[in-house]
Amino acid sequence: MSRHLHAVRDPDAPTAGREGAPADVSSAALDETARWPLTALLGVSLAGLFWWGLFQVLAAIKLHAPGFLAGCPWLTYGRVQPVAWNLLVYGFGIPVGLMVATWITSRLSRTALVGGALIFLGSAVWGGGVLLGVLAIFSGHSTGVEGLEMPGFTVPVLFVGYLLMASPLLMTFFTRRATEVYVSQWYILSAVVVFPWLYLAGALQAVVYPGRGVLPASIASWFVHGVLVCWFGGLALAVALYFLPKLTGRPLPSRNLAVFGFWMLVFFGPLGGMVRRLDGPFPAWMSSLGVASCSLVLVAGYALLVNLAILLRGLGATVRAGTVTAFMAFSAGSFLLWTLLVPLSGFEFLHARTGYTLFAAGLDWLVLWGAFGTAMLGALYYIVPRLLGEDWIRPGWVRLHFGLAVGAVTLLVLSSLLGGWVQGGAINDPSLEYVRVAKRYIPFAATGTLAFLVLWGGALLLVIQLKWMLLRRWLGHCLPKLRGWCAPVDSEVRA
Amino acid sequence: MNQGPLLFLGILASLVVSWSVLVLTPQFQLGDQGMVRLEDTGKDYPASRAGEAAQGEQIYRANGCQYCHSQFVRGPGAGNDLARGWGARRTVSRDYLRETPAMLGSIRFGPDLANIGARDDHTGKLLLKLYDPRAVVAGSPMPRYPYLFEERALGEGEVPAANALRFPEGYRLPEGVDEVVPTRAAEQLVAYLGSLRAEPLFFEVFPPQAPKSEPTAATNAPPSTVTTNVAPAAVTTNTPPSP
Ligand code: HEC
Repeated sequence: MSRHLHAVRDPDAPTAGREGAPADVSSAALDETARWPLTALLGVSLAGLFWWGLFQVLAAIKLHAPGFLAGCPWLTYGRVQPVAWNLLVYGFGIPVGLMVATWITSRLSRTALVGGALIFLGSAVWGGGVLLGVLAIFSGHSTGVEGLEMPGFTVPVLFVGYLLMASPLLMTFFTRRATEVYVSQWYILSAVVVFPWLYLAGALQAVVYPGRGVLPASIASWFVHGVLVCWFGGLALAVALYFLPKLTGRPLPSRNLAVFGFWMLVFFGPLGGMVRRLDGPFPAWMSSLGVASCSLVLVAGYALLVNLAILLRGLGATVRAGTVTAFMAFSAGSFLLWTLLVPLSGFEFLHARTGYTLFAAGLDWLVLWGAFGTAMLGALYYIVPRLLGEDWIRPGWVRLHFGLAVGAVTLLVLSSLLGGWVQGGAINDPSLEYVRVAKRYIPFAATGTLAFLVLWGGALLLVIQLKWMLLRRWLGHCLPKLRGWCAPVDSEVRA
Repeated sequence: MNQGPLLFLGILASLVVSWSVLVLTPQFQLGDQGMVRLEDTGKDYPASRAGEAAQGEQIYRANGCQYCHSQFVRGPGAGNDLARGWGARRTVSRDYLRETPAMLGSIRFGPDLANIGARDDHTGKLLLKLYDPRAVVAGSPMPRYPYLFEERALGEGEVPAANALRFPEGYRLPEGVDEVVPTRAAEQLVAYLGSLRAEPLFFEVFPPQAPKSEPTAATNAPPSTVTTNVAPAAVTTNTPPSP
């Protein structure tokens, strides 16, 4: 086994396939097979993203404008906020992650997508499940379990929908041509396999057959943290480890280090769930385990840092110049910061102040948008033109979206972390009445509103371009046919 | 290099470990906790909720009060919750046995409500707070819940309802509204808030300086251990020393 194993090989290079694997095909042919199934997944996720933006902005406004639309029970803060969260995680995060992961799997396996029809079916079922769940929260049927608010009847729908959406990825992997399993493929497989387990165990034990008292809350923390680490963090890493070597043309410096980091993340990640509930009404060992495990995930972050630092040494200008690479670099940086801040803020000297404030929200934004969101946007800007065989209509908009997204995420994370620090200090000062505490954190929450608006605007740029490209593609296909249909028939003329 | 099987086994093993540790073990540790008889009051703790309050729990859940309000008190050394008057002791898992599910909350945009029933059980004021928080606390950023109330115009010679909200001097009702009457849901919600109080006499964490007697002894304690779980007379309520 060589140490200089490359993470990614030139996708178009002919390969010696595994025995019994299908004949090698060109990348274009791979993308052709994947085209419409993955576009369907993308459609579901962009719908999720659009509605997330709308409701997240609304929730953020409501945080500082208590009278705004107060008369409508469906739009009260306590419903809009969980709706937005569920749309981001289940509506956008899961399908977009699967779409990108499936595309990378097909490319890395050198195998055309298997079972694309299941993806159509799965995205419809999943999308329907999320829609039902969101309507249930709006109408006051939330489960009250944070992170798993969608009621029990949506659990089987979502679970089946997920299996349908995800199985083509696994089927493609198992019929792969390539002999090598790359590191980013490892992260993809772990995310895709871990999510349904976490979801089923979490939803069954916290929602469908909930334990008594505080148990659902700790189970939900285990679930949410596991998903943040393995899905949102893991897929961000998969994407960065796939695209950065590929686009810079350099192999990943150490595969072994990357594999070591992978196992640290997969093993200790989900074990750290109780960092979300430190100092809460739980046995003390659970909190200690949370902080200890998250500290060990730091090792995974360090392994990544070393690999990327060597990989990108001297390439600063190149990385910044390419929009896709710039997205990836920002994503990897956010992930590193997250692995550092989570255990750090778990220590009592910080947690006594930052616990249960905007700071906690800031940490979630750091991984949800900082690591995952930006990685997915970067990946989409690379994948979609190849998938559709259409160029971006406004390349300038791509760069603009990068600027907007990175600016908004930075603003959001900084204002939340800082706001949490201020809020925590105020809460711990008993001489301050609570309205005065609120006066201190509200400016930071209001800054969040601006950030959400910008993120949403950026998402609109992507959606509009995509619709436009689809329309152009469709016209490009149909107009010649239509013209052909109207044109005189040669043989008739000659006859 | 074909590490497929190793990969899947490893991932599965990691999951099984974290599930056994974080889901299964607490289930065993906390799942068979039961109510405790408090020796000095002779009552079981935590007492289950009466009908109205139990309904109110559903209103609290449906309207997502937990996205701004937490329901747990941290102990000394972890923040300043006790000094803020949010409770006389930190809350422990046993305090939540009757909750389905416990709505602990994770961001404290508003004050903790774990002991709101001990702190402020003035029904009229709580109702007023739900109708318009700013009628109680000037400049409050808490949302209004007008949809939990009925806004009515009074006809000629009609008398106001007995349970209509009483507003502070100078409060201006919206145009065309003469009285505001709480719906059943609002009353249930306030009953629920009133039921939120962690028993200060409960031994597991309080008094902090109590001798460490066998905690399990309390459930069927012989008379000789009775005194170990009685709080010092000085602190008998959850209310902080009023400022
Ligand atoms: C957007 C955040 C938010 C939501 C949602 C919210 N509150 Fe509040 N709440 C606050 C803030 C901030 C305060 C402190 C200022 C004040 O007293 O008005 C507060 C104060 C309170 C108080 C007074 C606490 C005390 O210590 O005196 C009660 C009671 C209360 N809220 C109940 C509720 C209930 C019940 C709901 C759900 C129907 C709810 N709140 C929803 C933000 C919120």
